[in-house]
Amino acid sequence: MNMEKRTGSQVVMEALARHGVDTIFGYPGGVILPLYDEMLKWPQIDHILVRHEQCAAHMADGYARATGKVGVCLGTSGPGATNLVTGIATAIMDSVPMLVLTGQVNSWAIGKDAFQEVDIQGITIPITKHNYLVTNVDDLPYVMAEAFYLANTGRKGPVHVDIPKDVFQALTDAPFPETVHRRGYTIPGAAPLTDIERAAEMLNQAERPIAIAGAGVIWSETAPFIRQLAEKADLPIINSLLGLGAIDRQDPRSLGMMGMHGEAAATIAVQEADLVIGIGNRFDDRLTGKTSGFAPKAEIIHFDIDPTEFGKCVRTMHVVPGDLTHNLPAFVEAVKPAKRKTWWGEIRQWQAEYPLVVPEDGRFLARHVMKGLNECTGGNAIVSTDVGQHQMWAAQFYQFKRPYQWLSSGGLGTMGFGFPAAMGAKFACPDQEVWAIVGDGGFQMTLQELQTAFECKLDVNIALINNGYLGMIRQWQELFYDDRQSHSSMGNPDYAKLAEAYGVHFVRCDNAADLPAAVEAARTTKGPSLVEFVVAMEENVYPMVAAGASNDNLIMDPALARSDAESLMGAQP
Amino acid sequence: MKSQHTIQALVQNEAGTLNRLVSLFRRRGFNLASLNAGDCEVEGFSRVTLVVNGDDEVLQQCVGQLQKLIDVVSVDDLPFTASVMRELALIHLTGVANNRREILDLLAVADGKIVHFGLDSLTVEVSGDAKSIDRFIAMLGPYHVTEVVRTGVVGLRTENRIPSELASPTFAATSA
Ligand SMILES: Cc1ncc(C[n+]2csc(CCOP(=O)(O)OP(=O)(O)O)c2C)c(N)n1
Ligand SMILES: [Mg+2]
Repeated sequence: MNMEKRTGSQVVMEALARHGVDTIFGYPGGVILPLYDEMLKWPQIDHILVRHEQCAAHMADGYARATGKVGVCLGTSGPGATNLVTGIATAIMDSVPMLVLTGQVNSWAIGKDAFQEVDIQGITIPITKHNYLVTNVDDLPYVMAEAFYLANTGRKGPVHVDIPKDVFQALTDAPFPETVHRRGYTIPGAAPLTDIERAAEMLNQAERPIAIAGAGVIWSETAPFIRQLAEKADLPIINSLLGLGAIDRQDPRSLGMMGMHGEAAATIAVQEADLVIGIGNRFDDRLTGKTSGFAPKAEIIHFDIDPTEFGKCVRTMHVVPGDLTHNLPAFVEAVKPAKRKTWWGEIRQWQAEYPLVVPEDGRFLARHVMKGLNECTGGNAIVSTDVGQHQMWAAQFYQFKRPYQWLSSGGLGTMGFGFPAAMGAKFACPDQEVWAIVGDGGFQMTLQELQTAFECKLDVNIALINNGYLGMIRQWQELFYDDRQSHSSMGNPDYAKLAEAYGVHFVRCDNAADLPAAVEAARTTKGPSLVEFVVAMEENVYPMVAAGASNDNLIMDPALARSDAESLMGAQP
Repeated sequence: MKSQHTIQALVQNEAGTLNRLVSLFRRRGFNLASLNAGDCEVEGFSRVTLVVNGDDEVLQQCVGQLQKLIDVVSVDDLPFTASVMRELALIHLTGVANNRREILDLLAVADGKIVHFGLDSLTVEVSGDAKSIDRFIAMLGPYHVTEVVRTGVVGLRTENRIPSELASPTFAATSA
């Protein structure tokens, strides 16, 4: 085929269009101007001008987490590129498919400390699935195709393409490849049947089995098989933080999240189980606690697409490598139907004994907000969070129904993620209700995007949890540093004025009775809404396993011991 | 069990490939004793031989993580019993005027050779497995060793060879 000559910029835009990209998030600068100029000719691709490149990355990330599609962000060389770094690291830790484009100084100037030159390829090596510096425009069509392919196959992740200014401008007639060939990169398929059968046999034999569904279930879109597995094998299903949504929280066999701030019954059940089946999770330290004390009575089976996860953190008896889209249905098929009355009896007992509680002692708590948001939105909204106490309460109390509904920085724990991620999700899913639940600390890291939201008339809702503290830090200081509060107390601006300055709808709410109206006002207002919930300042997240402690050492909510405790959110039917 | 492994990676040469490999070792705390990279039988690809210290678990992670790098085509943990391992060393000796005879004898034992000589200096070359080079350098102890340069080990599997990935047509394709 004879290709017409086109510029590198044209190649990039064409590649985006070919991959069905409708929205990209970025910020211009000198060396990427050729691409920005070309963009004007591609009205089918919406470019969202952010106010800080970090947020371009988080928006692309939120876009990906809400859809499973590759999110695209871009920035210029030097500071534009380094501003993207936090967002890229956030994405790799949670295996989010993302394409990051950066401009680079002219290829002949590389290495000469040119203006705004930074070795961004070198910088992103440890935080990308793969990265490229394209110095020959003839390579660009292939690289763009391969970048999309790598980002969204196998274990997903961010891929970074660094493009010098002259490469954007140079002409090429190199065609896009029909297929992508990469020696040594194979997309894992189905595990050998014997692996599945052995896993099924172990489950059939077990008396107290439990499964932990992680984000791999979300990305592989295999949530229906988790439900089938739960039903057929009468199997309790726990979620890792990022696995929330892999099973409907209202499903009778869903136990919610386990781990550092997981539900007590879930964490206890894993400690008491004789078989733990990890499905698309990675047994990170926030989930396992001290690994030597993790699931001491259990044998562990691990299903995962990435073989390096096997045995990385916990000793594993049996592994089932490969893609869950093959392995999970086969597993469901292979297991015998079972009823586990005794086991469920014990679990129900723990659930009854240690429910999540919202103490009704007259104070307005962040937990009221989570519970209220869940009720007002019917558990249907896409919810993103920042990092801190509010994140854990959101994970505990919001009753997620489905995959791609929960966006949170689990691995890197990036404050400032919540609001831009919610924006990315709303751009991707304009018909869905989107809430960012953010801390007053984290929101102040990325709130400049209010302007972006305002300009785009983006109908995104922000639940700002104002506790006047870096709450999670204060909690650790209270519990582990004799309550010495070193730099965890923190002032806040007047958010009403701030919202006014940005032209954003605003409500303040400081009591539970007003909450439904405040939420409703935000839901029904078109465009961005900021709801400031002024909550009790010194509340702690429970249950808790201290960092480095075993999951046996659960610190229960002191409210459970008080008579004013009222179980409001038991998940048990 | 603590031990040393010689791992060989076949890599596709790209901007940043070696950087990526070394970055992985640093980031995951793998202990790299030596690294050697060079051309191989197919243009555009290299073989990298890495000597790694660590127990079996570390090794398994190391091989797995290497394999995950996109520009790594394949990884082989070379078995000591079924591979040849060789390293080359250049050694500069000074103050040799009165000891030439003895040094030549030592060189004969180690199958080394003189690659350069000066009035009072010699540059010698030896190759062999890493241990015999260690021994040879130790034997030179009484003389004045001023500089030692070693290539790091290169290895080649001699038994149970898997046909080269580069030759196999089935291996080549993963398609979008
Ligand atoms: C960018 C970044 N810096 C620091 C931290 C450490 N950190 C974790 S939670 C937290 C406090 C968060 O405070 P806030 O956003 O107010 O949320 P809260 O815990 O009060 O709900 C901090 C500082 C982090 N996770 N991310
Ligand atoms: Mg706070």
